[in-house]
Parts: sequence; C-alpha cells; structure tokens
Amino acid sequence: MSTKASTQTKTSKMISDFRNFWSEPWFAILTLVLAGAILLFIVVPVFAVLFKSFGIGSGEVTLEYYQNFFARSYYFESLVNSVSAAILSTLIVVFLSVCISLYVTRTTSFLSKFYRGAALLPLVAPPFIFSLSLIILFGRNGLFTQVMNSAFGWEFSIYGFSGVVIAQVLGYFPIGYMLVESTMRNMNPSLEHASSDLGAKQGRTLRKITLPLSQSGIVKAGLLVFVMALADFSNPLIIGGGEPFLASEAYLLVVGQQNLEQAAVLGVFLIVPSLLVFIFQTYFLKDTGLETISGESGASNVPLSPKVKAIVMTINTIFVSFIVLMFVMVVLGAFVRIIGIDNTFTLEHFTNRSGWDSLYISIVVSFLAAILAATIGMLQGYLFARKTIPGKKVLEFLTLFGLAVPGTVMGIGYVLIFNGPPFFLTGTVLLIVLNMTFRKIGVGLEASISKMHQIDTSMEEASSDLGAGPYRTFGKVVVPLLSPAFVAGFVYTFMTAMVSISSVIFLIAPGTNLAAVYILNLAEQARVGMASAMSFILILIVLSCMGLLKWIEKKTGVNI
Amino acid sequence: MKKLTLATITLLTMLIVAACGGSSDSDGEPLQVYTHNDSEEMDAMVEDIEENTGIEMDVLRLSSGEGWSRIEAEAPDVGADMQIGMLHGFGMKAEEAGYLLPHESEEWEDVPDQFKQEDGEWYGTSFWYNMIAVNEDIMEDKGLDVPESWEDLLDPQYEGEIVLPDPGTSGTAFLVTSTIMQLMGEEAGWEYFEDLDENVAQYTKSGTAPAQMVAQGEYAIGITWDQAVFDYIDQGYPIDSVLPEEGVGYSLDVAWIFENTEQPEKAKEVMDYLGTQDFMELSAEYRSMVTKPGITEDEGLEESFIDYDAQWDADNRDRIMEEWQDRFSN
Repeated sequence: MSTKASTQTKTSKMISDFRNFWSEPWFAILTLVLAGAILLFIVVPVFAVLFKSFGIGSGEVTLEYYQNFFARSYYFESLVNSVSAAILSTLIVVFLSVCISLYVTRTTSFLSKFYRGAALLPLVAPPFIFSLSLIILFGRNGLFTQVMNSAFGWEFSIYGFSGVVIAQVLGYFPIGYMLVESTMRNMNPSLEHASSDLGAKQGRTLRKITLPLSQSGIVKAGLLVFVMALADFSNPLIIGGGEPFLASEAYLLVVGQQNLEQAAVLGVFLIVPSLLVFIFQTYFLKDTGLETISGESGASNVPLSPKVKAIVMTINTIFVSFIVLMFVMVVLGAFVRIIGIDNTFTLEHFTNRSGWDSLYISIVVSFLAAILAATIGMLQGYLFARKTIPGKKVLEFLTLFGLAVPGTVMGIGYVLIFNGPPFFLTGTVLLIVLNMTFRKIGVGLEASISKMHQIDTSMEEASSDLGAGPYRTFGKVVVPLLSPAFVAGFVYTFMTAMVSISSVIFLIAPGTNLAAVYILNLAEQARVGMASAMSFILILIVLSCMGLLKWIEKKTGVNI
Repeated sequence: MKKLTLATITLLTMLIVAACGGSSDSDGEPLQVYTHNDSEEMDAMVEDIEENTGIEMDVLRLSSGEGWSRIEAEAPDVGADMQIGMLHGFGMKAEEAGYLLPHESEEWEDVPDQFKQEDGEWYGTSFWYNMIAVNEDIMEDKGLDVPESWEDLLDPQYEGEIVLPDPGTSGTAFLVTSTIMQLMGEEAGWEYFEDLDENVAQYTKSGTAPAQMVAQGEYAIGITWDQAVFDYIDQGYPIDSVLPEEGVGYSLDVAWIFENTEQPEKAKEVMDYLGTQDFMELSAEYRSMVTKPGITEDEGLEESFIDYDAQWDADNRDRIMEEWQDRFSN
C-alpha cells in the first residue's frame, strides 16, 4: 500500500516537475540545448576515449591494449612516475602554501603584498616555462651548475623526475595557494585569540586550532594540485629527459604513432584518479562547519610570534625568490642570444612572424572561449538555482566534471569524435574554442550558482509582480546581478585558455596554431631564446589583460 | 554602468566575429602548409614566398614522423594544401598512397630527374645528411676522445653524453636508423642501437635539438644533421662536426601538393616558385646543397655518403619503427 502510494506521489511529482519545466518554454529549450552541449562536448569525448581503449570503433572489443600496458614495464613506469611526481608536488605545494598563507594573512607588512603577488605570478605563464628556466639554471651546463662545478666539482642534471617535480611545484603552486589563503583569511580569529589567551604557544595554536580549521581548504587545495600535476604533460616533455609520464606518453603515442588505442588506455589511467578525486571532493569532503562562521567579524587574526614568523619568512623568501628568479631567467633568455653561452644583447628572438601570428590567434580564441564560457556559466547558474529541472544534479556534476578531466584525455576524445562524420571540425578555430569553453564552464557555473543563492528571490518576484514576464525579469534583473559571476568566469577562462596546451595541442592546424603550443614546439627544438621571447610576450599580454579588467572594475564598480 | 559593461562586451564580441569573418574572405583562404623545417628557416622561406608570389600561407611545423602520422590519419582529407620540406621516403609513400597532386612545372626543368618524381608529384629542393656534433670544451674537460666513426660511439667513455633524436618523431633520427641498417644489415643494426642505447642520455623529439643541446654544453655528443651543426659553428659555439668514417645517409628534402587541396592553382604557383633561382638561392643559405645546378658546390661530400636507398625507407619504415618501439619503449 504505502509503497504504491509513494510511487504515485513520486510519479505525480515528476509530472508536476515536467509541467513546471515546460511552463517557460524558452528556458526549457535553452536548458535542453545546454544539456545537449554538455553531453556532446564533455561527456561523449571521455566515453570515446574509454571505448577506444577497448578497441571499440576500430575493430573487435579487446583487452589487448590493457595487456600491453601491463606487459611493458615502460607504460607501467609512466603510471608510477606520474602518480609519484603528482603526490610529491602536491605535498610540497601544500606545505609552501600554508607557509606563505600564514604570513600573508597574519601580518600587514609590505612583504605580504609582495609574497602574494609573486606567488600568483605563475598563473599567467604557460605551465612549462619553468622547465625552460630550470634548464637554463640547473641543466648540465646551466648557470648555477657551472658555478657549482667550478667551485666544488659538483655535477648534476636536472633532467628527469626531480626536474619534473620542481617544475610542477612552481607551475601549480598558485592554484593550491589561492585556496589555502582564502580559507586562512576567512577563518574566525576569535578561536586563535582564545587559544593564545589561554596560554598556548603559537606553535601549539597553529597545530591545534589554525591547521585543523583550515583542513578542508588544505585538502581541497591538495586534491586540485594533485589532479593538475597528474595531468601535466608539457614538463615531462621538456625536462623529463626521456622518463615516461602518462600524459606525455599518451601524447607521443598519438602524434608519433597514431596509436590512439594505446593512448586511450593511458588516458583511462589518467582519468580514473581524477574522477575519484572529483567524486571525493564533491560528495565526501563536507565542510567541517567551523569555517562557515564568518570571518568578517572585525577582529584581525592573531599576529605571528617572532619565532614562527622567522621560520615562515625564511621559507617564503627562499621560495618566492626562486619564483622570481625563474621569471627573470625567461626575460633574460629572451633578450640575449643564447643565455649562459653568448650573452650579447639581441632582439632577434622577437622577429618571429609565426610566433606573432600564433599570439594573435591565441588572443582571439581565448577571448571567444571566455565570452562563451562566461555566458553559458551565467545562464546555467540561473537556471540551476531557480528552475525545476529534471536531472539537474547530474548535469551540474557533469559540468563541473569538465574541470577535472585531464586535458590530454579531452584532446584525444575530441580527435576521436570530431575528426569525421558527422562533424568534420578538426582544424577549425571553432573546435578549439569549444574545447576551451567546455573545459572551463564549471567555473562560471559555480560562481553564478553561489551568487544566485546570495540573492533573495524578492527582486525577481517584485519584477514579475510589476508585470514583467520571466524573460524580461531575467534580462533586467538577473543578468545585472550576475555580472560579477560573468566577469569571474570570463577572467578565469581567458587566463587559462591563453596558456592552456594539453588539450588543444591535438586540435591545431596550419593557421590555427596557438602561442602556447608554438612555444612548446620551440622548446622541443631547444630554441631557448625564441621560446623565452614568446613566453615573455605571452606573459605580458595576460598581465595587461588582467590590468585592463582591474581598471574596468574600478571604473564601473562591478566587483570582480 | 552595468549596462555599459554588457554593451561593451557585446560590441567586442561582434567586433571579433567580424574580424574573423573579414580576414578569411579577402582573396580566399591562406594556403595551408605543413613543414618539418626548423621554425627559423621556415619563417624566412615563408616571408620570401609571400613577397614574391603574393600568396599568403599558414604554416604548421611538425617533426617528420609526427607530420607523417598526422597525414596518414587525416587522409584523404589532409588538413593542408601542400607540404614544403619533408623526407624523401615519405614523399615516395605519399605517392604510392595516392595522396599527391601531380604538377608539371617548367621552373623545375633544369633540376636533374633523380631529384623529382617523373609525373611531378614531388620535387626535391635540397639535400641534408646526418652529422655528429661534438662539444670541444666538454671533450677536453672530461678527457674524451673525439669519435671518428659510428662504431666509436659505442665506447663506454661516452656513457650519458650522447643525445639522439627519437626516430618515432624525428626524420633525422630515422635517417640514422636507416643508414645503420643499410650499412650493417638489420640484425647487426639492431645490436648496434641496443649498445648505443647504453650511452644515450636522452632521446629528443626534434632532430635539431641535439645540435642546440651540444652547442649549449648540455651534452658532449649530438647526432643530428648538417646545417644544424654548421649554424652553431658559424655563430661561434665551441662545437665541431664529425662525419663518421663508415659514411652517412643523406636525404632529399621534398615538397608536394596534396591531392585534396581546394586551392590547386595557388599551390602550383608556390611549387613553381620553389624551383626558381631566387628561392633556391635563399634555400642555399640554410642548406649545404640544393638541387638546382650551379648554386652550391658539393665539396667532395659524395665520398662521405653511403649508397643510400630511399626506397628502402619507404618500404621498411613501418616495420622498423614497430620494432624500435618494441625494443626501446620497454
């Protein structure tokens, strides 16, 4: 009886949901289009890779490629290398993030601004330029190596596992740092005050109060860095010295041998950990509840004790100087003939026509992707926060999943799907734009949803009470309210698209070569000067775009 | 204010869309070109071609192995109109597979027949050959002997000092592989590479990279190709060139038009231009030998060349590469 009743109510609820859904047909159609696009551009490519790894689509279903994976120590080694490098990088990034965050959030000196700025600097550079700088400095004939060699007879080589880990730490540091810093900043300071009032030393307060309170932020940061480091393919390519890593091997299998099946297997091993981390983060990593207490209570955090301050300052200064040094190397490398060998000043690395062409294309493509991603994120955020949509949870999950899919997997998936009928999109700018867009729409979506939850529905109700229809209300009330979320989605997508590489490298063609891919190609030819020059310009462009946005923010009062 | 932001964004979008549309419809699309030439060389060539023919080109550089696997995957809808700069052997494979559009060009008439396909499916612009680059400073510091032959490279004193490109992606490396196989026979050839592997520090993706790495002093010995070495010698780097005494393989650098091109007229015009005195002279600035007579002297190099069989390349590459993967990706 009761089960029957509950099925009945369930069915009737479903029916009423659907009625609701169709009550505003334009929104319903929009939702369907979005859902279709998410399926096509995020989900289908991933499944295409999964199917391909079993040989589906090119012959019989087979486990041959998985057998290969385990039979050849080489492939298995790439898994071990990738995972252990990612774990190591993550631990180091988290440790350094905590150190710098402590200083930045708990002191007010000018140094904290400097630390913060330098710590975020790697965001604007392609992830692999640190490999270049590391080789310039610590290669077998690097500037630092030479000094060490002549002074102590030391000889070392940065090529290989250690080089990859250092490059990853530098490249992915900002991602971890931003999360840790925001948790530490928004923490309610009264608990720390209480602890120190009760006589606990700073070290104890840190261990017992500060770190436990920021636990979820730190774990989140760690997981994110882990996923990104695991998917890293450009650093192993440049500084890996032949050591196999999953993403770079998958790439070489595709471009060198067109062995898409074997590459797909490596892709599956890339995506499984990412998927697990993503699910864990979405469903099991509940906030402890403590940090939800608002941090804007007026009181400031407990200042650091001299001893702790001295320790973190030492670590911070070393690390931050290292980051700055890396950038200095890129700039120097751009303006001399071959750094360390022939240090005569030259501008010849900048007279590189294909480089400038690719920069132009990168800007256009990233701009289009950013507009698209931000718009979709905004629409989707509104629809998901306000409308009854059947299967909403699933769609939201899939959209955010786009952020977690390793670029290499996405790229191979796009090659598999769009390289033939019915799409024929390979080599078009459109495909690159779509790839960049759908990998990033999750950011705009999250920003929009959280913004929508902050806004009371009364504004929209007032608008509709005054006679505006749902679409007019959306245009006149919701869109302006969501513009900060739009800008956030735009900025993030633009910045990441300008320097992204792992996915789009599979999609370029003559005339659609992108700056980051071009720089990687130069690095492969060991053209350090040209690669540094192009990196330098790319960094300048991204930085000035950020500056422009800040300026717009100031002028218009829209909060970014 | 918020309206203003939105208006600005909309306007910008429209502008960009207009810009994209605008650039593509003036005088058709630019010619799409694949190349395996180095970025620097290719930039100079493209500039020269565009200046002299008025035809705009978009270029994508891919190492030869990479380029070929892309062409095979894309065929019959290859994503480019033509190829400028590729291995001779791949030209032959492309010809057999029917990927190429024949074009009889008058500009190429004085180029000897052996450097071009009889129906005009591909044309050879220049020659290049394998060469070993040696960093003199490192040799001296570490007390290493300068190698004189392929065989010398197996000496344990060079352990961790040799850079070789990966034949999966690099044409330079495939030429080495093929040369050794043709010199020693396959079985002994494989043994040679197994032994060499002991001394190899790194396999690079591009064939030019070893020359640069040796010039920079990262490694003592790089197996690469002629002009890459000469470039650094000219720039004053402490490197020297070695032609192994057993002889080196050489390859013709060829250009062709893809059968599926939508702009055959433009592609043919460019192909004609590649055969002119002007272009060959430019080419000679980057290559030791070009195919048009009277521009470069061969300086007795022929003695160092083995009796290289490019057809062997075309016939055996797939099999050799598969075996290479089995042996060295393990």
